[in-house]
Amino acid sequence: MGIYFRKRKRPRPIGVSEKTSPPDGNHNSADNTSESLLLSTDIEENLQYLQAIFENCSDVVYREFLLAQQEQIKLALIYTDGLTDKSQVSEQIMRALALEMSMATDSTEITRANALHYVKMRGLCIHQIQESQRLEDVVDAVLSGDTVLLVDGHATALINGNRGWESRSIEDSKTEIVVRGPRESFVETLRTNTSMLRRKIKNPNLKIETLQLGQVTKTDIAVAYIKGIVNEGLVSEVKKRLGRINIDGVLESGYIEELIKDNPMSVFPTISHTDRPDRVAANLLEGRVAILVDGTPVALTAPYLFIEAIQTPEDYYEQSFFASGVRVLRIASLFLALTLPSLYVAIISFHQEMLPTPLLLSIAAQREAVPFPVFVEAFIMEVAFEIIRETGIRLPRPVGQAVSIVAALIIGEAAVQAGLVAGATIIVVALTAMASFTVYYSGSIALRLLRFPLMFLAAFLGLFGLISGLIIMVVHLASLRSFGVPYLAPVAPIITEDLKDSAVRAPWWAMDKRPHLIGQNNPRREAPGLKPHPPRERKR
Amino acid sequence: MIKKIICFLLICALVLPLEGCWSRRELNELAIVLAAGVDSAPNNKILLTVQIARPSAFGGGGGGQKMAAAQENNVWVISQTGESVFDAQRYLEAKVSRELYWGHTVILVFGEQLARNGIRKAINYFSRSPNTRETIWVLVTRGKAADVLNSHSQLETTSAQSIGNMARAGVGVPVMLKDLSIMLASKGTNPVLPRIELTPSGKPQGPGMQENIPEARGSQQQATLTHAEPTTTGTGVFKDDRLVGWLDMSETRGLLWLKDKMEKGEITIPSPRESGKNISINIIRGNTSVEPFYDGQNVWFDVRMQMDGALLEQQSTEDLTDPRIFASIEKELNRRIEEKARSALEKAQLTYEVDIFGFGEAFHRKYKKEWAVLKDRWNEVFAGADVNIAVQARIRRTGLTTNRISKER
Repeated sequence: MGIYFRKRKRPRPIGVSEKTSPPDGNHNSADNTSESLLLSTDIEENLQYLQAIFENCSDVVYREFLLAQQEQIKLALIYTDGLTDKSQVSEQIMRALALEMSMATDSTEITRANALHYVKMRGLCIHQIQESQRLEDVVDAVLSGDTVLLVDGHATALINGNRGWESRSIEDSKTEIVVRGPRESFVETLRTNTSMLRRKIKNPNLKIETLQLGQVTKTDIAVAYIKGIVNEGLVSEVKKRLGRINIDGVLESGYIEELIKDNPMSVFPTISHTDRPDRVAANLLEGRVAILVDGTPVALTAPYLFIEAIQTPEDYYEQSFFASGVRVLRIASLFLALTLPSLYVAIISFHQEMLPTPLLLSIAAQREAVPFPVFVEAFIMEVAFEIIRETGIRLPRPVGQAVSIVAALIIGEAAVQAGLVAGATIIVVALTAMASFTVYYSGSIALRLLRFPLMFLAAFLGLFGLISGLIIMVVHLASLRSFGVPYLAPVAPIITEDLKDSAVRAPWWAMDKRPHLIGQNNPRREAPGLKPHPPRERKR
Repeated sequence: MIKKIICFLLICALVLPLEGCWSRRELNELAIVLAAGVDSAPNNKILLTVQIARPSAFGGGGGGQKMAAAQENNVWVISQTGESVFDAQRYLEAKVSRELYWGHTVILVFGEQLARNGIRKAINYFSRSPNTRETIWVLVTRGKAADVLNSHSQLETTSAQSIGNMARAGVGVPVMLKDLSIMLASKGTNPVLPRIELTPSGKPQGPGMQENIPEARGSQQQATLTHAEPTTTGTGVFKDDRLVGWLDMSETRGLLWLKDKMEKGEITIPSPRESGKNISINIIRGNTSVEPFYDGQNVWFDVRMQMDGALLEQQSTEDLTDPRIFASIEKELNRRIEEKARSALEKAQLTYEVDIFGFGEAFHRKYKKEWAVLKDRWNEVFAGADVNIAVQARIRRTGLTTNRISKER
């Protein structure tokens, strides 16, 4: 612990900033000194200054032109090429100012003194314009893709919100696939992502607070929650933890996840991540907080409970009986993914009595030619599977098929034929592999990791070792918290009300309350007695 | 923190191998004993025979070996004499390259000679050793146990499994090691064991199936062309731990009735109207209650039997919708069941003079004090006791048809 705290007490400036003043805890400000710098009234001076800041930034464009009037007022546009909608720059700004404004009847009234007002009020055809005197805002705006318009003689810059860059279109979710339900997934642009949320929750109480993290990258982060449903304490805790972050760059939400996690040394995720807007919206409606990060389609939601590993968005769209059945199946596969190889090792090398005689004989026949102990055999196959899985993800598409054929041949046929592994081991490994993909992805990562120590324990201590490993795991799980919520809730501590949405999924008319520990601020989510029924009284 | 974690992981990594994989047994280091047979040998020794599975002959290893595997014998039967069972087993380890593994032993067979001398001296290892199970099926054979073990099943992979399955199906009287121990410990009952023999059963299907029938053993062992399949042929009756005689299959049915172990079976009775034709009834449910009576001098028993059955075969053509005919069939059924029970009872009371039905235990439950006096001469008391048998048989169903569709004209 000592090392950890020592590091925290001496925050060092991070990144390229040459100033050495320590960060003041305000994540928004990059450095204190530039904050006081204001624009000058002289446009040339401003341009020189900006050119100095953007030295060697070849993508920053300066465009000077004149307001076509008798007074020859000089204007300058500064924007970043590629981040700005160029047609808007030429049509709505330059054409409007340089040509159309001069044709207006009252154009003669424009003087150097009121130019800024006229440009803003009459000239620019841009939907969103901000004014700023601070140089820092100008720099930020240019880098964010806005177009900055400087007017000679005015110490105020007009920041035109005409961002527009090449971005991926909205596609099907790649990680969480559903048969029934919305297909769309988040994209890399933060605004698009928040708009997807807003489209699902058309309510002013959906608050989306933005802030910037990353001394160098200045990444936009949005904290979304629904006021009136969320626990205010949770929001402030999330913001407090985000405020603590002082890092040079945030390239993915994973950075944030690891920096605000409750138990940093645990393999189990205590913050959920998803690229599905509907999942985020559902989480918000239950009283959770979402964190969206610019530049990644993966959003975070918290608190995250263990039970969510077996819940998918589709459970809530498909009929409840089917969803409940599938959830039971997922619980079974969760256990299989975690324990099947170790159970196999333990039984084959310690507890042969547990098998029915014909099965024992059949496995004994398969293992007759295998030169390794069963643990080594199973371990090799598990590692081989992990290698194949990793290859499958990283491979360039065109090679993928060839490799998967080779892998299937090696694992499926050749290894058995060569007598290196028993057929039963292949079945166990294959079943484990498949089972591990039925549960929520980041939940299954933890299970996949823990499979190996459990196998190790089973190989040395048999079922005794396996059970002790599981007990240790459960004790650890019970000690975890996600933003103050017990990780194993609603099972431990038992919350009977919430069991409706655990191993089973009750019909919507029965799930009238939000999860108790998360949505206690506003527990009821629907009116009672919504169960459909025929009319009670029949009047004649 | 990091140091502590590293230390903890190191301790784990070092301690676990120290266990040395205690009691770890790799599957291919085990000789799976499927059946054990015990015979008596000269000089008061015993002869232990084990049937060991040969996994390599089961196929399933490599694809190429499969063809050869079908020709091979998939068990290895090996015998060894010793002072005791365990002694013989230790000697066996010198011949068998793998550790004998008793966890999956299906059957334990006693040879006739050993059974007549007493099975107590052979049974202790199997109930005391933690390696074996209490659920082994125990059987007795006419002749040598080694011959029964040295046989093949046409249907199952090994004859041990075949015999085990038959015992489980309740063809004879099913006795597990734990049942035998209980019967041996109780004075109110004497042990019975199902009798297993090799009998000619059709042509051998493929090589490696030709076996000698024990009766055919002459001066030389000559392979006959008839396959010998292990067959349940009756019951061995014990007085305490010594074999005193046999019951045939019909008497065994009576034994099952009286022991309240009747679970399924068939009863054939002559047709009440048409002579020379039979009716067969399938037993759906049968139960028996025994009530002892004692007046200070005489002991007698009231045995009540109930049976539910389904009429599944009718050679004759009488009208089954007629209640009178139906009643007469049921009456005949009662008579037949009583007859079977009587035949077993007579054998036990008159020929062998042993209580193999557990009547003594029923007596013990009802007359605790008197039992203390009678228990040491219970078999004599039993042999002289009267037994009243009342049977109430009901035919619940008549199969898919009621009356015969095709009647003779």
